[in-house]
Order: sequence, then C-alpha cells, then structure tokens
Amino acid sequence: MTIHFILNGEDVSMNATSADRLVDLLRERFGLHGAQADCRRGTCGKCLVLMDGRLAPSCLLPAFKARGREIVTYEGFAQTDEYADIAAGFAEAGVECCGFCDKGKILAAAAVVERSSRPTKEEILAEMAEVPCRCTDPETLVRGVQAAAERREGRRYRRASQ
Amino acid sequence: MAPRGEAAAGPDPGAAGLQARELILGDLSQPGMVHVATIRSPTACGRLVSVKAPTLPKGYRLILPADIPGENRIVSFGAELPVLAAERVTYVGEPVALLAGPDLATLGDLAESTRVLVEEEEGTFSWKSFASEQVVAKRVAVIGDPELAFSIADKVLEGEYDSGALEHLYSEPQGALAAFDYDKMAIWCATQWPYHVRDCVALVLGGAGEDVVVRPTRLGFHLDGKLWYPSLLACHAALAALLCKKPARILLSREEDFRCTTKRARSSVSLRTGLDATGRLTALDFRISLNVGAFGPLAEEMLSQACVAATGAYSCPNVRIEGYAVTTNTPPLGAFAGLGAAPSFFALESEAARLASAAGQDPVSWKSRNVLRKGSSLVTGDPLKEEPPYEEIAGRLGKASDFGRKWACYELVRKRRAGRDDGPLRGIGFAFAYQGAGAFLSGGAPNSYSVEATLDKELRLSLKTSAAACSGTMIDLWRRSASDLLGLPLEEVSVAPPDTDLSPNSGPVTLSRGLTVVNKLVERACQAIQKRRFRDPLPISAKAVYRIAKPLHWENGRIEGSIFETAAWGGAVVEVELDPWTLEPKPLGLWLCADGGRIVAPSRARAALRSGAATALSASMRESLEFAADGAIGAEYYRYGILPPGELPPIHVEILEADRRAPAKGLGELPNDTVPAAFMAAVAQAAGANFQSLPVGPEALADWEET
Repeated sequence: MTIHFILNGEDVSMNATSADRLVDLLRERFGLHGAQADCRRGTCGKCLVLMDGRLAPSCLLPAFKARGREIVTYEGFAQTDEYADIAAGFAEAGVECCGFCDKGKILAAAAVVERSSRPTKEEILAEMAEVPCRCTDPETLVRGVQAAAERREGRRYRRASQ
Repeated sequence: MAPRGEAAAGPDPGAAGLQARELILGDLSQPGMVHVATIRSPTACGRLVSVKAPTLPKGYRLILPADIPGENRIVSFGAELPVLAAERVTYVGEPVALLAGPDLATLGDLAESTRVLVEEEEGTFSWKSFASEQVVAKRVAVIGDPELAFSIADKVLEGEYDSGALEHLYSEPQGALAAFDYDKMAIWCATQWPYHVRDCVALVLGGAGEDVVVRPTRLGFHLDGKLWYPSLLACHAALAALLCKKPARILLSREEDFRCTTKRARSSVSLRTGLDATGRLTALDFRISLNVGAFGPLAEEMLSQACVAATGAYSCPNVRIEGYAVTTNTPPLGAFAGLGAAPSFFALESEAARLASAAGQDPVSWKSRNVLRKGSSLVTGDPLKEEPPYEEIAGRLGKASDFGRKWACYELVRKRRAGRDDGPLRGIGFAFAYQGAGAFLSGGAPNSYSVEATLDKELRLSLKTSAAACSGTMIDLWRRSASDLLGLPLEEVSVAPPDTDLSPNSGPVTLSRGLTVVNKLVERACQAIQKRRFRDPLPISAKAVYRIAKPLHWENGRIEGSIFETAAWGGAVVEVELDPWTLEPKPLGLWLCADGGRIVAPSRARAALRSGAATALSASMRESLEFAADGAIGAEYYRYGILPPGELPPIHVEILEADRRAPAKGLGELPNDTVPAAFMAAVAQAAGANFQSLPVGPEALADWEET
C-alpha cells in the first residue's frame, strides 16, 4: 500500500506492507537514524517520534498508522526554534544524558512543552517515564524542561510584541 | 578502514577529528558486512553432542570451536571461560556456535532451525550451601579472638541478608564490529576495558596484541556491565570476520542481552555480632556466599571487595570473615555499580539498625560509638590514615531530614500501634559507608596503568588514555584538572580517541576509577610537564604510570596489603510510608551527604549522586531477576520495571567542601552502598519487623502481616 504523510514538514509517500514498522522505514527509506530500534517493545524510548505533536514509539507503530499524520523525528525537530529552546534549557540546568536517550528525552520535553506553557514536575516526569534510561537525574531534567518552557514562552512573547 | 555509520543524517566517520567514541555501534556498518547470530545452549549442564545447522545458503557459514585458530578461551581477573562451548555446556544460553551471513532475517531463521544436541546432566543451582568443587575463590581472615569475644559478649545477635541479581539496563545492548584494517583486526565495540578486548581477540585469533586494534564506540550508561562481556562478543565478531573474510557485526537484541549476558552477582551475608553492655561492637563473624554463576569471571575481585567491606565503616577488635565465591549453572554473574562491596555494606548497615535497638540507642548515636576513627585498625591491621567525617555527615543529614525527631516519633507510633488503622506505617533509616579508591584488590587483576600527556608548540595539551572510552563528563573533568594545573584555557586541552594503537593502557573504566586512578595519572603527567615547561623546548611529553604498592594478600587467616589509598565517605537517609492495605512501601524522601574530596564540578557531582540514588532506590524497591528451575533468567525484558521518575521522592544532596589540594575521590558507588540499607532500615521500622532481602516481596509482607 502507498502511504502519504507529512515527515518533518514535507509531504512524503512510501510503499509499505502491513507488517512494516515505522521505525524501520524511517531508518531504511528516509535515512533518519535518530530513532533507534532497540527493544522493539515500545519500552526503551529510543524510537520515539512526535505524531501530531504527541510522543509515539515508532518501533510499535505499523507504518500505515502514519497515513495522513504529521510525523516529526529528532532530525526534523532539531531544525526548529523549539529545539533550540530545549537545548538551551537543558544546558542551563546541566542536563547530561548518556548519548543514547537524549533524542527521546528532547522529544519528550517537546511534547510536554507543547501541551503546557508552565509544565509541572508531575507532567514532566510522566512524559519522561517514556524514556526510562537510568543516566539522568530526574530533578535536573525537570529544571531543564521548565527552563526550556520559559525560553519558549519568552520567545513567543517577543515575537508577539514585535 | 573506518566503519560507516548507516545514518545519512549522522556523522561522517571519515571526517577528520571524529572520535570513535562518538559513534553508536548499532548505527555502524561496512560494505559487504556479515551479521553474526549466536547459537546457544538449550540446557544448563551436560555434554555437548552436536550442533546441526540446516543446509546453508551461499554466503552463510557455521562457526564451531574447531574453527578457532588460536585458543578457545578468554581470561578475566584470572578466571577463564570458553569463547564457544566445545565439549560441555554450563548454562542456558551459553554460546556453542556462530552463524554468519549477509541478511539478518535469514540468519535468524537459520539460527532458529539449528539444533543443539546435549546429553543433559543435572545442573547445580544451590549456592548458599554448596559443594567444594563449586568454590572458585575463598577468603578467610581472623582478627583478634572472635570466639572468646562472643563468649563474654553481653548480647549476641544473628542475621542474614541477601542481595539478588539485577539487570544493568545499559544504554545499548552488547555487541561488536570487526574488520581488517590493512594488516590488523580492528574492533569497534562499547567497552569499559579496551585493552582487555584487544588481548582476548589476539588470544583467540592466535596473534599478538599488536595485531589487533580496538576503537571503542560510545559507551553510555553501563553500571559496570560492560567490563568483560564485550570482549567475548568482540571475539565472536573477529572470528566471523576472519573466517568469512568480510567485516562482521554482532549486536544482541535487548531480549537476548537480557537473558544471556552478565547480571549482578547474588550474595548472601550471614553475620553474628557481639555487643558489650554499652552497645559497643566486640565481635563480628561473617559468612559471605557469592553466587557468580557460570565460570565466575570477576569472582576473585568481587569476593575480595565483599570481604574487606564486610566490617563496613565500623571498628571491631575481634572479627572473623569467611567468604566463598561459588559457581552455578546460571549465566555468569558479576559487577553492578561496583565490584562486590555493596552487598556487604547492605548487610552490616541493615543489621546496625537492629544492633542499635538491642543496645537501646538510636542508630545515629550507636554508629557514632562504633564508627572507624583515625588510627582505628582496618581488617588488614593497618591504621586508618584519615578521620572519617561521620559527625559532619550524620549532622548534616539529621538537620536536612529531621532524622532524630522523626525516628523517635516513628518508634513511639510503632510501639503504640494497635492495628493497621492506627496511624500511618512510617519509618526512617540511616546508613553510612565508604567507597574505597584505588586499584583492584585481587591478585589476578591488572594493576599497572598509564596516561600520556603532550604539550605542543602551540601550547595545546593532548591527553592519551584508553580510559577515554568513558563518558564526556569524565573527559571534561580530566580536561579541567589538566587546565587548572598547567594554567591553560580549557579549549586548549583535548583527550585523544581511545584507540589501543595510540593510547596507553589505563585499565578498565569503572564508575570510580576514572575519577580516582585516571584523574590522578592525568594530574601527575601534567605536573611532570609543568616541571620541565620553562626549561625544555616544546613539545614536551610525559607519561605517568600507576602501580599499586602492596597488592592484597590473603594467607593463614591474615590480610596483608592496602585496602584503599583514600576513601570517599557518605551517608543516606530514606523515609518511607507503607500503604496500610497493600503494604507497598512509598518513599517520602531521600537525603544523601558525601565527602568526595576535591570536587572538580559540584553540580555534576550532585547530579551523579541523585542519579545514583534513583538507581539504588529503584533496585531496592522494584527490581529483581528471578531464575527458572533450569537456571535461565525467568523474567522477560519488557516486564523488568525500574522505578518511574514520577514515583521517586525528592532527593536532597549535600557535598562536604574540601580543600582545593585534597585528592579527588570517586562518589559514584556511594548511593549503591548506602541507600539500600537506609531503605531497608526504614521499611523495618515502619513494619516493626526485619526482612532479609530487597525488594521486600509480597511473601515477606504477607508473613509479616500474619504475625
């Protein structure tokens, strides 16, 4: 079947079988290796993408589920202003990841900041539970996401006032 | 030839300056590369009769022990294990053969159709009581006259504490990529110990160490789970590359990694303690059993560390320690956030809460009476050279957590409680321990490491160490140390990629050695450059070599040598509430205080302690690996749950300030040494009962409720 969807802001289409999982097609057809097929159980958080702004484990998603949706991978998100907010917020709080889970954590932060302009600790940790890596201290992560949310709000305010 | 990352959007591995440690093994490939699948033993024990693969398509190859050109073994801390089981199998999942071929899916089908025939024998799984042939390491030490001391002790208590197997959940499953680089076999893998990989591959291929070059990939979070196991997989990949004459990669799936690779060793500590009328420790008797699974690759080192940590941070004139490392027909078991000391600290610190109660004292006061002081005898008989900051740590923790008041209140509530509806079931626990810094303690461990530094004409400093396979945080700390010592801007200090052809052997990178041993070597090399800096022309190179002066020696009940050169001291307080109906413990707060010597980056040290505390609390509350009747890991990967960040309590961290000239000490293992015992003491106070192991399971809670 042919599937049309928006990938990182561009209309794309691809042929896929019902058994194909989104993560494999992103890696093999589109060369997007930010999402990794590690556990293939949707538990490790390394395959996360944003589907219509919400976190989704691409290792469990049948490719046809992407039909008509907007998919944003880490590579696409890294080109946005929102990414710059999160990267700066993480740096400000001293968030240091192991180098494997950071893409998932950044996308999880993006999802929570998208939903709430002032995310609470509970909201942030609930979203971060999707990336259960032991490497990062949760408190620092919360500060990083809250700093990112503040930056995002500041940027929006400046844009509106211009 | 450098491996190519598959990622079109990823880094170009051929680009100048790219370091192998920036690459992720799972993203690497080479043209014409074959994949490697492992054929594993279906039974725990028996004689291997045959391995029958189906007819293999062109380009696929079965690799058996007879195909190994060198020796069919790898050596770790004096222990040996086969690269492929040749005559006997010793655990479910042991590699008996390899299948190599270009297509991963076909390879999976072929591996599934391959039959392994074993004449099954009864496996050995008991380890608390065991036969003499199961013992791979034994330690006995006697200080003073314990039996006489017990006979005149005012009170004698007995306890037993178990620590179960744990999964590391490291950042990436284990694997390796091997390919010929001109006349050398090049290996890419995520390893804590690049030179061990090099030496093992050379032994298996029948070559010299110089014929192999190891370029470690990004290591990520490892909790000491990638000490020796990557060497085994590197041997598998190298064999496939040699025999297929093509690059070869082996990358375990999470499920396969979970079931077949090394986990934390199981341990049981039985202890008998004697107290005088004032509550002072007069005698201690330990029996430590360590289940190291099949072959016990780290048995010698882990048993040494468990035995020297048995007396914890306490002073006692009469001590007997008897320790055994015991093999069983389960997957090899070993290190987890340290090499064996944590279960001993857990046992004595958990017992200390009972001892304080028996002496009619609160835990902080009881520990104050018994804690080691400057000049106290260690288990080796040597005097302790530094004053442990017990009062300061206990004081700061007491103030931050309100320990004294809460402990007294919870004791009152516990004593007056009439039933489950009568007030909350709360408890608070305190534990104190140390993390020794220095070299390994066992005879089979390598104890000579070096770091090289070169200051060039442009006043740029380059550091070379094989330990550079570790995290960016650690690398940053070495750069800061060098920058401070030589007065160079931080950006002028670089750490070369950890390539075994270019970097000297700096030993394995465990959680603490990067900061203690390697950082000290960096400082020494920089000091040597500083001495020559304004006398000799640039460039100036210096090499710092570290050799332990007195390796630990166990003989005739005596321990001789140095346990540690210096130690980081730390304490933890945990407060819990038990749900009155489900009895599930809910942590209300966790407080940590540590003396880590000179702290190069305080915010990073705090973050590391908080992250370590979260791991230790998760291991104490949730994590447990069960073994099936045949010794195989019974659980499934996706069911192995760690504590979600939302269920963690607030974690408060304090670090004692130290002199700028004080040595840097490793802190990474301290949460693991203190938090489980503090949690256990808190649960015990809340329930008014003693438990033997963590996590406190439904059976233990049901027993407690009945009583």
